[in-house]
Amino acid sequence: MSALFDRYDTRDLFDEVFTDDGTVRPHYAGLIDRLSRLSSEDLARRERIRDGIFRTQGITFTVYGDDDGVERTFPMDLLPRIIPADEWATIESGVAQRVTALNRFLEDLYVGEQAALHDGVVPRWLIETADDYAREAFGIPVPHAARCLVSGVDLVRDREGTYRVLEDNLRNPSGISYVLENRAAMTRVLPHAFAEQRVRPVDHYGPMLLKALREVAPPAAGEHPVAVVLTPGVFNSAYFEHAFLARQMGAELVEGRDLVVDEHVVYMRTTQGLERVDVIYRRIDDDFLDPVVFRPDSALGVPGLLSAARAGNVTIANALGNGVADDKAVYAFVPDLIRFYLGEEPILPNVETYLLWEADQREMVIDRMAELVVKPVAESGGYGMLIGPHATDEEVEQMRVRVAADPRGYIAQEVVQLSRHPTLMGERMEGRHVDLRPFAIAGESVEVVPGGLTRVALRKGSLVVNSSQGGGSKDTWVLEDREA
Amino acid sequence: MLARLAENLFWAGRYMERAEDTARMVDVTYHTLLESPYGEVSKSWEQLLEVLHLRAGFGDGPLDRDRVVRFLVAERSNPGSITSSVAKARENTRSVRELVSTELWEHINDLHLALSSRDLSRDLADQPYELFASVRKASMTIYGVASETMPRDDGWRFMALGRLLERAQMICRLIDVRYSQLEDLAGPSQRLAPLGAEIAQGADRTDFHHWMAVLKSASAFEAYRRRYRSSMDPADVVEFLLLDPDLPRSVLFCLTGSMHQLEALREGRPSRAARQLGLAASALRYRDVSELFDVGLHEFLGQVQSELGQVAESVADEFFRHQPSGAMHAIATA
Repeated sequence: MSALFDRYDTRDLFDEVFTDDGTVRPHYAGLIDRLSRLSSEDLARRERIRDGIFRTQGITFTVYGDDDGVERTFPMDLLPRIIPADEWATIESGVAQRVTALNRFLEDLYVGEQAALHDGVVPRWLIETADDYAREAFGIPVPHAARCLVSGVDLVRDREGTYRVLEDNLRNPSGISYVLENRAAMTRVLPHAFAEQRVRPVDHYGPMLLKALREVAPPAAGEHPVAVVLTPGVFNSAYFEHAFLARQMGAELVEGRDLVVDEHVVYMRTTQGLERVDVIYRRIDDDFLDPVVFRPDSALGVPGLLSAARAGNVTIANALGNGVADDKAVYAFVPDLIRFYLGEEPILPNVETYLLWEADQREMVIDRMAELVVKPVAESGGYGMLIGPHATDEEVEQMRVRVAADPRGYIAQEVVQLSRHPTLMGERMEGRHVDLRPFAIAGESVEVVPGGLTRVALRKGSLVVNSSQGGGSKDTWVLEDREA
Repeated sequence: MLARLAENLFWAGRYMERAEDTARMVDVTYHTLLESPYGEVSKSWEQLLEVLHLRAGFGDGPLDRDRVVRFLVAERSNPGSITSSVAKARENTRSVRELVSTELWEHINDLHLALSSRDLSRDLADQPYELFASVRKASMTIYGVASETMPRDDGWRFMALGRLLERAQMICRLIDVRYSQLEDLAGPSQRLAPLGAEIAQGADRTDFHHWMAVLKSASAFEAYRRRYRSSMDPADVVEFLLLDPDLPRSVLFCLTGSMHQLEALREGRPSRAARQLGLAASALRYRDVSELFDVGLHEFLGQVQSELGQVAESVADEFFRHQPSGAMHAIATA
């Protein structure tokens, strides 16, 4: 082993590359061998090439509440994360199962008979008190029930290496552009590393998404439905991704003011006149979609859009009201929903979750709070959460007060010691925590993109991988099945 | 293409041209007045403000050179200043970043940043020529880059259309400002047609420098020399800048170019803009310059400008402002 892995610590956690006794896992052998032969100058040079690629392409995101929204690059580590074919098969079927069940649940909730509520699988009051339960979505049809057209299910691995679902992200999951850009950059920065591996490609995401969007077009759209990407505009933190996806699909990137609704039909204003729009892949939150129905002060949306969707003249993807299933308390019921709607056992387990309106669980959580993770139910992006072992006494105390005052507003989870992956820090590899966000696309059927976004907590020991909280990323390789 | 993006490109073209032409006009006025034997300096600056349609915006203050120049070059509250025009060209380009080449964006952005970071008041007091020249040069570079890097699609056409229409307007104004100055010198009693003819034939040596400056400000002096040899006849200058079919900065050339872009954009559909533009171009193409002095050059230029204003309105109606007939109804009942 070269100096690259000197003093690399393989103890205590599940390490993606090394077994507990320090040997390299077989699916990493070729890559580690190759990397070990590179000098530190060589690695530094490749890091410079990588930085150049990302900077000139302006692949950045905006951090809110920090220096008035500075643009940052999302740093990609040189060492990719590798997932062998058999592990991927579990992830793929588990994610597809979950998304299928959630689509069934949401369809039943908004246009069905709410069987899961009638049968008490999920308490009715819990759904009705969820912030993102959208009564405005009642009766709006979505072909094939593909309400979660794009989902980005966050997975983490525990001490035993078991993949567990942390969040479902059914509203507007972002990050797929990094998956594609990371891969494109990796093939240029370390082309030889691909030589011995059969890595499954990810660059067909654009056509996959477009196919699904066309499949959910209203029947009236005919043979060639027109799909567009709706963005809040250039100042949004994920604008780069919106433009990227429009380019990948050859679809127009529109803002609210480019669309107009006439007689419950949506049109975009082109230089040739008004052109009918059949499917809108929107990257705007529910509340801003239609000022007639939601926030009247929103200038981002399109007046009358919901009436057009309700009339069956346009499909909005992801569908309205998906946030109810993203509620972190509802998350706890997803394994039951899988059993209820599909009659199957969940392939991917949840993280152990405590519901704080149950008096005994709440008391236990308030007692053990310094050992647990506490999250607000309706936030995403890591905002507002408490990681007990890393928090000060004062922070823990404040959270105790908040939980006692609003038990429906929070959930608690056991700390999952996210798996660790060697990450280049200067001249040597050091272990950093990682998670995995595979992307699933639902149209007529559910497909999972082979790969996903591996996020890295760049601060030593940190368990927070969110891009908004100082995370980085890794190219993620899913290997071909050798037998296939 | 999306109407909003087309409109952004159209205005990016217009604002860039406006910045360049304003630089040319301020430059030529500034430098001819340096050697001017006439005492009417503030009158000349006032005329420049008027042809740029900025007289009201300037307000009541004294019309001294430094104030007017600062207003036209650096004043951010003046929407027609060079700084404002460049800022708006940049803003429009920024919102169509996906449709233009990276090089084009970088050059426009550089010019904007250079103007924002310079101490313009000092430059103006010290070395205005260098400032004007740098704006001209940057703007020429921007056209060059656009022309060599952008595919000739609709986006390109809208940008070119905006630029050509703006240039036609500004050349009309450039001729107008210089011609009005000469008319004034000849005395208010003779403002009408015969005076025009008199000036046209009796250019004295001071006029020579003035008209040379006009030609230079349109990058047309050398071409004029080759075409008309030694003489510096105002009638020839006006003919060259207004009616020449081959000079890139003549009004007729710009209108013909706009016509080509518009023909390609409308793809055979009937177009009011194209009809108005065709009429305006014909009025120039088949005109003898001496007739212009008969009707009064100022009046004629005013008419061309108002026709161009209508063309721009029609372009906006036909390409940028599509509304469904029932849209308001839908909003009211949704």
